[in-house]
Amino acid sequence: MKRTSLVTTIVALLLVVVLGQLGFFDGARIMRGLRNLGILASDMLPPDIGVLPVAGHALWETVQMSFAGTLLGFIASLPLSILGTRNLFPPLLSGIARFVAAGIRTIPVLLWAIIFVILVGLGPLAGTLGLAAYTVGYLAKIYADLFEGTDPEIIEAVGSTGASKLHLVRFVFLPEGANAILTQLLFMLEYNIRGASILGFVGAGGLGFIMQVYLQTLEYQRLATVLLLILAVVLAMDGVSAWLRKRFLLSTQT
Amino acid sequence: MTQPANHTALRAQGLWFAYREQEWVLKDISLSVPQGTVTIIMGPSGTGKTTLLKLLAGILAPTRGHVEILNQTIHREAQRRQCYLVGYVPQQLGLVRNLTAVDNVLMGSLGRCGHGKVLLGLFPREEIEQAEAALELMGIGHKRSEKVFELSGGERQRVAIARTLLQKPRVVVADEFVSDLDMALALEILGRIRRAAEQEQITFVMSMHRHGLAREFAESVMTLNNGEILPGFPPSASLETLSAGTTP
Repeated sequence: MKRTSLVTTIVALLLVVVLGQLGFFDGARIMRGLRNLGILASDMLPPDIGVLPVAGHALWETVQMSFAGTLLGFIASLPLSILGTRNLFPPLLSGIARFVAAGIRTIPVLLWAIIFVILVGLGPLAGTLGLAAYTVGYLAKIYADLFEGTDPEIIEAVGSTGASKLHLVRFVFLPEGANAILTQLLFMLEYNIRGASILGFVGAGGLGFIMQVYLQTLEYQRLATVLLLILAVVLAMDGVSAWLRKRFLLSTQT
Repeated sequence: MTQPANHTALRAQGLWFAYREQEWVLKDISLSVPQGTVTIIMGPSGTGKTTLLKLLAGILAPTRGHVEILNQTIHREAQRRQCYLVGYVPQQLGLVRNLTAVDNVLMGSLGRCGHGKVLLGLFPREEIEQAEAALELMGIGHKRSEKVFELSGGERQRVAIARTLLQKPRVVVADEFVSDLDMALALEILGRIRRAAEQEQITFVMSMHRHGLAREFAESVMTLNNGEILPGFPPSASLETLSAGTTP
């Protein structure tokens, strides 16, 4: 208990110091910010629905990019995560796999998009590859940790039947982790839809491009329409996730 | 040691084991189990029963000493090659909850299966038939397509045994696996094990804490205490344990 409260105090003090350095205690500035927020909000209203055809097309591209990028990344992350599972492979091999995943994850998705714009040119292909790359780095780490957490008794029991490592992956790690695998995949899809909507800032396709144009030309009513569209898609994704979870995930409650 | 080699299914010689250096969980354990019998290892909890069983099943490698099954030394690295010798049922059964009963039983055939169709979930027809037969033998053939998380505790025990039967090992090592069952169910399952031991000449080595059950079913009983093994029941068997074990 003593140790917990000491840690809490230190964290609280640190937070105060850091907030101060970041300018959070500059009252005038914060007040100005709040006033500007009011102005910005009023400039956004009412949303200009005239841009719906243009924005709708870009939105469709964004959804396509996130769907393809997430699934490609998911497929590539599975072998990498399995190689990174320390109770299945020797430390050197799993260490290398985890290092690769960490390396991929270190690069933010926007930077991946820029890299792929350089490699394959402007447009949604670069965005899709960028999302896929980031997804690999993220899911490989999450899944490797998930597989390592598999109940050792199951691994021992099935291992003693003479199952090979591939058998263990197929019949123990994947089915035991199925719930979390699906949950993380859905989370990643949701994350990528939000992520994909800014990739257009660097010319990698989707909604980002028109968002950038509306921002630079101060067309906030049009920007508001775009933001509402993203909100609608994210909410729809929430609904789909909830449905999928209900449909497939209740199963392992013991 | 005095029995002819072909009648001894399992022989452990001078087993020492420590999870941390010099902290011996097992000290110089030697035992020998005749073929086609049921042997029960008793002893207070935390005394190393699970560790001993894992050594016998080749899941852990002894620090010193060795285990032989049908005169072949068991190696931890050779589980796939030696799966026909020894099968293991852990205390919590080690079933894959998200798979059906019959799929779990089919895990028992993995040591004989390759990687082609099996990885797609397509097992050879004769393995499926045998898995279904093993479930029938355990009295839960009608539950074959239910997922394990939908089954009751007793049904899960039967699935775990059926999986081991499909593996067709000569020795089955089982850890406290009827402990969570009520007496009637434990009796029934042990009865099925007893029949399997006699009919198929399978040797069972199990840990158990219920004296009554042990008396009823074991050909031999050993007690593990402080890392050492002695023949017979624990000397300080409390009346409480005895009565808990014999109440129907």
